[in-house]
Amino acid sequence: MLNLRFIGRQITGAKRQCVVFVLCVALSMVTLVSLGSFSRSVQSSLLRDARALHAADLIVHAHAPLPAPLQGRIASLAGQGELLSARYWDFYSVVQKATGEGTLLCDLKVVEPGYPFYGQLLLASGRPFSQVLTPGSLVVEQALLDRLRLRVGDALRVGNATLTIKDVLLQEPDRPVNFFALGPRVFIPASDLTSLGLLGRGSRADYVTLIKVAHPDRLQALLSALRGAAGDSRVRIESYRSADSRVKRFFDNLLFFLNLSGIFTLLLAGFGIQSTLFALLKEQERTIAVMKALGARSRFIIGHFLAVTLVLGLLGTLAGLSASLALQGLLPWLFRGLIPARVTLGVSGWAVAEAALIGLLVVLLFTALPLYRLKEVKPRAIFGKEESGGFWSRSTWVIAGTGALFFLAMVLVRIKDLKTGSYFVLALALLILVAYLLAVGVLRFLKGRQPKNLPLRQALKGLFRPANASRSIVVTLSAALAVIFAITLVERNLDASFIESFPPGAPNVFFIDIQPAQKAAFAASLAVKADYYPIVRGTVSAVNGQPVDAEKERESRGDNLAREFNLTYRHDLLADERIVSGKTLFRRDWPQEQVSVLDTVVKMHKMQVGDFISFRVQGVPIRARIASVRTRTSSGLAPYFYFVFPDSVLADAPQTLFCAARIDKRQIGAVQNRIVAGFPNVSVIDLTQTMTLFGQIMERLSTIVRFFTSFSIAAGVLIVVSSVFATRYARLQEAVYFTILGARRRFVLAVFAAENLVLGAVSGVIALVISQIGSLVICRQGLDMSYRAYPGQSLLLVLATTLLVVCVGMAASFSILRQKPVTFLREQADE
Amino acid sequence: MTKTTPLSRLLLPLLAISLLAGCQKEKEPAAELAVAPPAYQGTVVAVGDSLTAGYGVPEGDAYPARLEAKLNQAGYRWRVVNAGISGETSSGALSRIDWILRLKPDIVILETGANDGLRGVDPQLTRQNIDRMAAELQAKDVLVVLAGMQMMRNLGSDYVERFAAIYPAVAEKRHLILIPFFLANVAGDAALNQADGIHPLAQGYRIVVETVYPYLIQAIKRKTAGKQGR
Repeated sequence: MLNLRFIGRQITGAKRQCVVFVLCVALSMVTLVSLGSFSRSVQSSLLRDARALHAADLIVHAHAPLPAPLQGRIASLAGQGELLSARYWDFYSVVQKATGEGTLLCDLKVVEPGYPFYGQLLLASGRPFSQVLTPGSLVVEQALLDRLRLRVGDALRVGNATLTIKDVLLQEPDRPVNFFALGPRVFIPASDLTSLGLLGRGSRADYVTLIKVAHPDRLQALLSALRGAAGDSRVRIESYRSADSRVKRFFDNLLFFLNLSGIFTLLLAGFGIQSTLFALLKEQERTIAVMKALGARSRFIIGHFLAVTLVLGLLGTLAGLSASLALQGLLPWLFRGLIPARVTLGVSGWAVAEAALIGLLVVLLFTALPLYRLKEVKPRAIFGKEESGGFWSRSTWVIAGTGALFFLAMVLVRIKDLKTGSYFVLALALLILVAYLLAVGVLRFLKGRQPKNLPLRQALKGLFRPANASRSIVVTLSAALAVIFAITLVERNLDASFIESFPPGAPNVFFIDIQPAQKAAFAASLAVKADYYPIVRGTVSAVNGQPVDAEKERESRGDNLAREFNLTYRHDLLADERIVSGKTLFRRDWPQEQVSVLDTVVKMHKMQVGDFISFRVQGVPIRARIASVRTRTSSGLAPYFYFVFPDSVLADAPQTLFCAARIDKRQIGAVQNRIVAGFPNVSVIDLTQTMTLFGQIMERLSTIVRFFTSFSIAAGVLIVVSSVFATRYARLQEAVYFTILGARRRFVLAVFAAENLVLGAVSGVIALVISQIGSLVICRQGLDMSYRAYPGQSLLLVLATTLLVVCVGMAASFSILRQKPVTFLREQADE
Repeated sequence: MTKTTPLSRLLLPLLAISLLAGCQKEKEPAAELAVAPPAYQGTVVAVGDSLTAGYGVPEGDAYPARLEAKLNQAGYRWRVVNAGISGETSSGALSRIDWILRLKPDIVILETGANDGLRGVDPQLTRQNIDRMAAELQAKDVLVVLAGMQMMRNLGSDYVERFAAIYPAVAEKRHLILIPFFLANVAGDAALNQADGIHPLAQGYRIVVETVYPYLIQAIKRKTAGKQGR
């Protein structure tokens, strides 16, 4: 039989611990429900972005009209209501002003009604695209008007037809995927295709069919069906999910990161639950000892405390669920403009059930150890002489093992990858082990210190008072902080390599094929600050004397060594480059010709610093020794080079210059006109639109990431609070003794502050060490991107957490100090 | 140029702007030059863009290697050096004329301008560049065989006509041997070209070699006659 009064008294008797416990459970619940329902919304919003970037679910791409069987298949599927399709033809043409001189290479897109299925075309007039692009009309980019000095309403000769410019294009949804354009975009309705007379034998165009599937779950089936019908390798059929792109990789990384941070939050909340319960039970130790002395069995006691935790767990679950519901109501407001209004942000029943179940498991799992250890409380603890037994008994291992299995299962459910899951659990075990070893080491070191400052000396002594939980607090805190630091660091790195790759000042206009003799005049004409990169074309013929097997290289799915490369020469690293192997870009002490390679090259072919690569640069063999391996710290549109040589090797070779410049959007037309008039051989690539679109998406994603990581920070704060509570009882005792011995309140405060300071700083530093290593591994191995350490921000993290520990500790201690010693002593005597 | 370039190759396509991205050269001309067996009667340098370099085909399938093999079979012990650079415009070709002369060519097969056309460069500029190259090569006593080129129909009939007119005009002015259309019987035939619709496959290059061969023989004959006459 459960004694309800006992349970009630336990809860009301330790209100603070109970509140923290409930908050921990609630937080894990909020995280789970958010990741369950909200992440589905986030995911669909991300996928929508991905889909908008392709303007369709399925994209059929060819360089000629589609083969008849495929066309037939698409038509029959459309007839069955399985899909909608819209074709477009994308090709270059030189358009002419209808009156007066003036021609311009343009990137034409002749579209059928229906385009785009996803995403929006923004026009300057604000009118819907489908209403504007009627037969006989054109929609063009501003650049065309600037270059040809035309206005909306003017006529333009395209092929054999003369069409009227109706509107100006501001944004095209699928531009980032097809961003490489040598001329401004011109939209033409498909009804005018024949009159243009530009397609037919001897033409070169992309023939694209966009498909919107009626039932999203049939996407994969339709993809296979169409691929089967194509039966020709020259037709490429992709789904917006399969299309291999940097954007896709970013989305994958982001979802992976969100799931990971969700699981971490759960883990942190679990730590919080565990340490609160330890604290709660610690305070009840004497009560338990008394109960045992009176003949209560461990089972009875554990049963009652289990009931206490279950009641608290239930409260936490309810609190968590209502918080989640409230949050879901708040989210549309919170994510204004980030997630389309039509995304349903409802809480699904399944997500709630799943969350409640997992929440219960987390509570049981993390309370198992503290509850189990109640068994070890001996009646003699009444006299305050409890000895701590060995922590790692067999049952501890069983409980810890069960925990590991549970988390493995969680990871598998979330991440759906056994290898990643196993790594994750191994990493967790390693995390706790390392935190434990470091904590033991540091504490042992501190134990021998005898600082001159009295409060500090007392504080150190306090850390090693009998039955003090210093070690377990440091382990818990440093493991938890390591996780939070790691999440922060990984987030910073994700930001740096994807989001900040599109900074406002990044180059948006590129000029190619500038001849060396034109450089000075070109720079004067451009009149803005720009970077110039010499480009020398060349191939790799051998690595360490082993000839490159072109056939084999081309089998590689990614990039390969068999193609022609753009070589360059310079003596400095670019702003977004870092040396990962080798001391300097080039070695002064090497007599041979040298080259620095990008890490991408090392992935294509095994090579290292000191090896030799043989190049053929336009007929001339060059054998160069690898002096360094570089990596890029961003993934933006900034230029990068696989092979960089010192000036001495390539400066004399035939070359052209590549120029990257930042030009104000309104100036681009004028600059282009100037350049084209003065340097007709130079081609201009304007990526402004692509950069803007990318920038918007990245910013949106960064907000979502930050929202989720804030959960884990909240969990971290709870852990700090609960850990401090764990020492509250011992402090109370100490404060009383200090006061009795004549110490002033200030001295007692100083001792407590120093103790918290040491705890916070030690945990923070251990956490930093672990998190730096962990984040490096996650970024390099898991996310396949470069890693930056952020020393300044790391230091801030340690300072902030130390401060937090001190503040929370002091807040918890103030009430202690307010107590009169005599009250405490009387209570002691009562027991 | 691939318009659906995956974003994962972001910058490369930018730089490679390729009619001409990726090529394998048949020979190591300069390396061979160093150990050149005296057996060669003369040197042909094939100057050009990816169509010369042999974008996307295995070594040995690009036209200069096949041309050399065909010459040798026919008893002409001439070597043909592949000096093609993928992505190069006529402006680029003009800039490296000194580099080409280092190879000490007797004959240059000049195939350039296609990338100018693909970028919509004014045909007037392409014409000037080719004219200047021809003049500089001739000044060094190099015999020039000019490969005529045509542009895709989608660029518009006016542009296509002006572009095609470049080659006969320069050939006439400088008295060059003109191959009317380098990609005759190859361009526009899907079976002979790679998926990009621009670059020939190995079987396409076989036809290119047949197209170029008679004009090269004509050049060799003129060159040897000139040498004997001297």
